[in-house]
Amino acid sequence: MEEGFTPKIVGFLCNWCSYAGADLAGATKLEVPSSLSVIRVMCSGRVDPVLVATALLHGADGVLVAGCHPGDCHYREGNYYARRRFALLKKTFETLGLDSDRLMLAWVSASEGQRFGEVTNEFANQIKKMGPNPMKTKNTL
Amino acid sequence: MAKKIGVYVCECGTNIAEKVDIDKVIAAVSPIKDVEVAERHKLLCSDGGKEFIKQSIAEHGLTHVVVAACSPKQHEVTFMNVCEQAGINPQLSQLANIREQCAWVTSSAEEATDKAIRQIRAAISRVKYHAPLKKKEVVVSPDVLVIGGGIAGIKASQLLAAPDRKVYLVEKASSLGGKVKSFSKLFTNMESGSSLITQEIKSLLDNKNIEVLTESEVEQILGFLGNFEVKVIRKAEGKEQNFNVGAVVLATGFELFDPKGLPQYGYGKLDDVYTSLEFEEMNIPDGPTGGKVLLKNGKPPESVAIIHCVGREEKDYCSKVCCLYSFKFDRMLQSQLPGVKVSHFYSDLCIPGKSFQKFYEGTKEMGVEFVRSAKTEVTGNGKGLTVKYETEFGKQDSSTTDMVILLPAMESSGDAQKFAEMLNIPLDEKGFLVEEHQLLSPVSSAVEGIFVVGCAQGPQSISESIVQSEAAAGKILSALVPGRKLELEVRVSEISESLCLGCKTCIDVCPYGAITFDETRRISVVNEVLCHGCGNCAAACPSGAARLKHFTFPQIYQELKEVLR
Amino acid sequence: MTGERAMTNKEQNAPVLVIGAGIAGIEASLLLANSGRKVYLVEKTSYIGGNVIKFEEVFPNMDCATCMIAPKQQELLANENIELLTLSQVEAVSGSFGDFSVKIRKKARYVDLENCIGCDACFDPCPVEVDNEFEERLLKRKAIYVPCAGALPNVPAIDTENCLRFKGQDCKACQEACMFEAIDYTQQDEDIDLKVGAIVIATGFSMFDISKTTEYGYKKLSGVYSAMEAERICASNGPTQGQIILQGGEPPKSVAIIHCVGRKEKGYCSSVCCMASLKLSHFIKAKLPEVKISQFYSDLCIPGKAYQKFYEEVKESGVDFIRAVVTEVSKSGNELAIKYKTEDGKENTLTVDMVILNPALEPGADSSKLAEILNIPQSKDGFFSEKQPDLTSVDTIKEGIFIAGCAQSPKDIAETVAEAEATAGRILSLSK
Repeated sequence: MEEGFTPKIVGFLCNWCSYAGADLAGATKLEVPSSLSVIRVMCSGRVDPVLVATALLHGADGVLVAGCHPGDCHYREGNYYARRRFALLKKTFETLGLDSDRLMLAWVSASEGQRFGEVTNEFANQIKKMGPNPMKTKNTL
Repeated sequence: MAKKIGVYVCECGTNIAEKVDIDKVIAAVSPIKDVEVAERHKLLCSDGGKEFIKQSIAEHGLTHVVVAACSPKQHEVTFMNVCEQAGINPQLSQLANIREQCAWVTSSAEEATDKAIRQIRAAISRVKYHAPLKKKEVVVSPDVLVIGGGIAGIKASQLLAAPDRKVYLVEKASSLGGKVKSFSKLFTNMESGSSLITQEIKSLLDNKNIEVLTESEVEQILGFLGNFEVKVIRKAEGKEQNFNVGAVVLATGFELFDPKGLPQYGYGKLDDVYTSLEFEEMNIPDGPTGGKVLLKNGKPPESVAIIHCVGREEKDYCSKVCCLYSFKFDRMLQSQLPGVKVSHFYSDLCIPGKSFQKFYEGTKEMGVEFVRSAKTEVTGNGKGLTVKYETEFGKQDSSTTDMVILLPAMESSGDAQKFAEMLNIPLDEKGFLVEEHQLLSPVSSAVEGIFVVGCAQGPQSISESIVQSEAAAGKILSALVPGRKLELEVRVSEISESLCLGCKTCIDVCPYGAITFDETRRISVVNEVLCHGCGNCAAACPSGAARLKHFTFPQIYQELKEVLR
Repeated sequence: MTGERAMTNKEQNAPVLVIGAGIAGIEASLLLANSGRKVYLVEKTSYIGGNVIKFEEVFPNMDCATCMIAPKQQELLANENIELLTLSQVEAVSGSFGDFSVKIRKKARYVDLENCIGCDACFDPCPVEVDNEFEERLLKRKAIYVPCAGALPNVPAIDTENCLRFKGQDCKACQEACMFEAIDYTQQDEDIDLKVGAIVIATGFSMFDISKTTEYGYKKLSGVYSAMEAERICASNGPTQGQIILQGGEPPKSVAIIHCVGRKEKGYCSSVCCMASLKLSHFIKAKLPEVKISQFYSDLCIPGKAYQKFYEEVKESGVDFIRAVVTEVSKSGNELAIKYKTEDGKENTLTVDMVILNPALEPGADSSKLAEILNIPQSKDGFFSEKQPDLTSVDTIKEGIFIAGCAQSPKDIAETVAEAEATAGRILSLSK
């Protein structure tokens, strides 16, 4: 663990639920880690595992994928696929000896501004404790 | 063509400006390659702000616009419209969220400023990769196919038909009317169902814009919203009829659960145990008994037992209307056979709504007996029937009766299965066609352009069936306007012919069935009418052939690259 | 009867008035507007979404209510054919189908809808605090307020009954805090005259006032809540941020949900409360896995293909279902004692920490006034009467005036939406 290490966390948020939840966290002026950079997608099901892996290989210390709660997906089933892909990705990371704790999948609804704050702060603290991503030596921009 | 990007940073009064050092932001982004101009403004979403952007676009000959302000969920469309008005394709813009997800959630001004710069850099890099997607429209047919000539199908047809909108009403029987033909009385006003349906049919047949095809069955429906190709077999003539429609309404009605499978009720074994539909038929003036309620021995019954919830446990749902029509039976019995003793055996009374409790209480006042029974059995006793019951407290008792009327569960008619397969609409575990959204789209099926109404959708009353038909008409009349083309979603998926491996994974994951397989070219093809732009196909595609326009891998990568810098 | 007379050109193209911006009004407006018709959507309160946005989750699938309805709300606010008039009520109606003249009284919001960006800076400085009705008085709000976080349009309104300025004092606290010049005390109430071809009544429901009963200890005993209060307690944007806690701040160990409160007085079954009670059980049990829940009911009303499965899941989770009449709720030490009588005549008592009372649904508060203005008959309970009770429920006796949703009779969201779509079907159809 390094002192004064500011992690870089990428969050892929789905337009209909988690992005709206993140906006609500803003509207209610909660504190969200500034280390989090958000990339908006229409559905958590859009998040290709390759995107997540690319993020980690290019310098992200942690990657968060957030979508609608199961059953609430605006596109009916997208988040179920997200869940499956994510589970497989985590498993792949473990098999390859990579730190799968740097990956997080969370369900945040449009009315859960508070929860968004909690999830992101918890994740950021966890990543801080884990230290910088060891994969980012050669390929980091 | 050289890119000229205009970057506009909103102060949002003090909402952004009090946290984000906007001068620093402008200084950071101005030198970026292709950024032609970077300016700040007090309130970009105001009329003044929008004018400011438009003038700046004209002055600098801009090709792309990046706005750093509030959430795209607030104003993405606002600034896209500004671009369009200024002559720039609206897709060549990007809104960076530096308010809700930056200024408002970061207490340190330094960190907020850095974050803002990151997000704006990401937007600038991304927008360079945007494609000037064009709006697309397709010609659609405003005509409608209605399948099922019962009350629901008839009402839908009447409401939809117009000189510029033809309705094809296909009914497999030789005459229209469905089940309501058999109801001599309707609850709660006790008026004639058969008269009602006769009037409706007459009015329908007079309608020049409705083509009625009785003794006919739909053999095949291909296509999608706005463009369905229908093949109907006219059984009487042995001929085929083909036509095009824009939407389909399924109104195939219900059947009763067959109580033969439940030996405890003696149906099919004991004399004088009838289903509710059989009882209805007994009451029709030109029915099998000339409208008289009679036992097998030709005599009228002196006592009748009505048993609720037959098959409820097996089907695992409440059929909603049986309690209500059983009170109708009470009145019909009392009216024809004054003094007849009627007893109900039920578990829970289902009488929701403002008027039905009164209807029930009126029934009680007539002297009808209500016995709450957890388990009911019917046996023969040599002279007539015995109803054995057990209360919820375990007390057992019995009573004799001349006639038993069973109230079986209402199931979706057998045709639902046929259409589910034909149209690729899932059936739920109860056998009913699945809606697009149980609460918000109750009459739309999971397939766009196909609607399910009446008891095909779920057990319900005549009034509710008519409302659903009117609802389907409302959705069709709203979406398919004669002469108006259907505007398609712009940010849809597309599949590269050269990269597609033909693995069909995208077809499996598409929630809307918007992707089909072209057997000749051996590739998957996206139907832009049905695509909702979720991107699941893009994420699933192993070769990168499937891409979601405006959310492609390169575009997202550009954002990623910048935020990790 | 449909098919009798085709509409005149005037009737076909005239704008439509929709009264009430709950889910029924929103759905009807969207369908009408998307077909090209102009819609005036008149809403009495300052926000859209009606009662649905008060629920955290809705049955039977436990959809997040606000997430579910958000795309529709956003579509409504962005639709150019829909003119939304909030803080507005219908004052007078004359004319007939195709040609109604409507007078609307629009109260001033005192906040400019264009200039306000929804930053909430005006709330803190306001010196007035009153009960928040949206939050069932479990929370306070200021005299300048939005009902809850996330309410749309995201622009506050000034409650002139409690605002100091409107009571004669020279308070400018909110205006001074606003940097967008959005607060305008000079705004006036307006009279708006509209010409419309058809009218849709979508005024929704309110709930039976439980304080009219004496046996449940409502508003007298601590730990006794109405269902709507319980809904707000469950809400993640509510007074407790979704934590199930009693007044002392502790979560309950046992909960009783009592059905049919007010049914005796009203004389009808409100259709949705059994399911709503099941939903509350499900939600509470998910938040507090150790809690013991009992439901007191008379007849279980779970009609249709979708509801019984949910009931069975709730039952399997260990919720007790007691068919009984509750005769009294009283204080028993720190707990509440529920005296009840089952159908075999036996009397019993159950002690719990929390009691939730599920009351009857009534028509929206100003229904009688509106019925008079429109000259439409009501049932004795105030629901708008349909023309022919056994046929479609959306027709009234007045041609061109339709009803949708709980304004007609208590019903669930799916039936409400179907009725709203049906009114659009009737209005857009050439046939009548």
